[in-house]
Amino acid sequence: MTEALYTRFMERIERGEKIEATDWMPDDYRMLLLRLIHMHAVSEIMGAYPEKEWVPQAPTLRRKLSLMAKVQDEIGHGQLLLRVAEDLAAPLGRDRNDLMNDVITGRVKFHNVFHMEAPTWADAGIIGWLVDGAAIITQTALLDCSYGPYARVLKRICAEESFHMQHGESIILALAEGTNEQREMLQEALNRWWEALLFFFGPPEVTDSARKMMEYRIRSRTNEELRQKFLNRYIPRIRAVGLTIPDPKLHYDEAAQRWVYTEPDWERLGRMVRENTGPKSQERIGLRRRAHTEQSWVREALVRARQRQAV
Amino acid sequence: MTQSTQRPGAVQGDASLSQKPPVGYEVYEVFVQPSQLEPHTHVGSVWAPSPEWAIQVARENFTRRGSAVNLWVVRRRDIAATPYEDEDFFAREFDRKYREVSGYSDNAQRWKRFKARAMSIEDVIHDVREG
Repeated sequence: MTEALYTRFMERIERGEKIEATDWMPDDYRMLLLRLIHMHAVSEIMGAYPEKEWVPQAPTLRRKLSLMAKVQDEIGHGQLLLRVAEDLAAPLGRDRNDLMNDVITGRVKFHNVFHMEAPTWADAGIIGWLVDGAAIITQTALLDCSYGPYARVLKRICAEESFHMQHGESIILALAEGTNEQREMLQEALNRWWEALLFFFGPPEVTDSARKMMEYRIRSRTNEELRQKFLNRYIPRIRAVGLTIPDPKLHYDEAAQRWVYTEPDWERLGRMVRENTGPKSQERIGLRRRAHTEQSWVREALVRARQRQAV
Repeated sequence: MTQSTQRPGAVQGDASLSQKPPVGYEVYEVFVQPSQLEPHTHVGSVWAPSPEWAIQVARENFTRRGSAVNLWVVRRRDIAATPYEDEDFFAREFDRKYREVSGYSDNAQRWKRFKARAMSIEDVIHDVREG
């Protein structure tokens, strides 16, 4: 029985059909998707923290408004993605509370870049320009995902990310056009973020689960392909605004048609994400814990109010 | 053809995707009407403790940009839907050109022979509205 279902499922995948929440799917397809989308959702939410830190300190009212709009977008994207994850997790008996508790207990990872400090306004700019830029590349690569509910949500997310892209560029362009001090601040921020940006795309080797995700057409590009796309697109622009990329080894290998770079410290940064030991990991998880626990009475009150209405 | 209906939020068998108690947080499907000349369009879903809250959350999640004049939220378990597996339900068993404009593309040539021009509904609309 299961074997026949599996064969039929794979035929559908190979025909390029979309799978829906109510369709039969192999357990590992569900688990791979759930892990990916759960981490994506949580990363959107944890990604709002380094940005929200800059809302009170943004240099102008316009910057403040646009940064707030971005924070709202990130939380909104988190909620859309949580809905997709919840429908995958429901047959396992897990709901939104469980998925959000996993952040507090460290059972779900979030992107390395959100464990780091954003000490200057230029860091806020680099996050908007390059961290969002890297995230846009990984997200657009998932637009053709075989899982329909995820593909649909990504369409909306990518449409909104196009504003994030312009917003980040606007901040760094203002700094690049500015005083020597502003340009220095921008360079220092780039120095802080470069290694983390390379790490963001994941290790170059194709892991078993990455291979499986390609077979299931959850994703179609390897980590290294996406990193190269990022480098192709951003290196010329980083140089155009007069910044130096902090990697003496960085060059384009014409014969191999690829960028050669100094590998990020996979071990150290990997441990930071696994164990939540980045400079800001615990502080931001603490904020999330506070939001989750201190407002649990609100959630309970809403349910109780509804129960009373229903009587 | 099977006539079964299925909630979009439920898997067949007993592992329901919306195994929540009848009152509590649950899934609401969201429909946005961008203007009064357009129908409500399904945009996604939210997780909320009541219809009122579903509307609040839906506004935050789905109308941050673009226009909207109306929002619908519907409890997912109240939606009746066709199962995706039943492809026959939407089967087009024969040529349906006779129902479509493209099935009459030869009219233009024939009008030409009568030294007259073919017209389209767009021409009529334009004439009635602007003319």
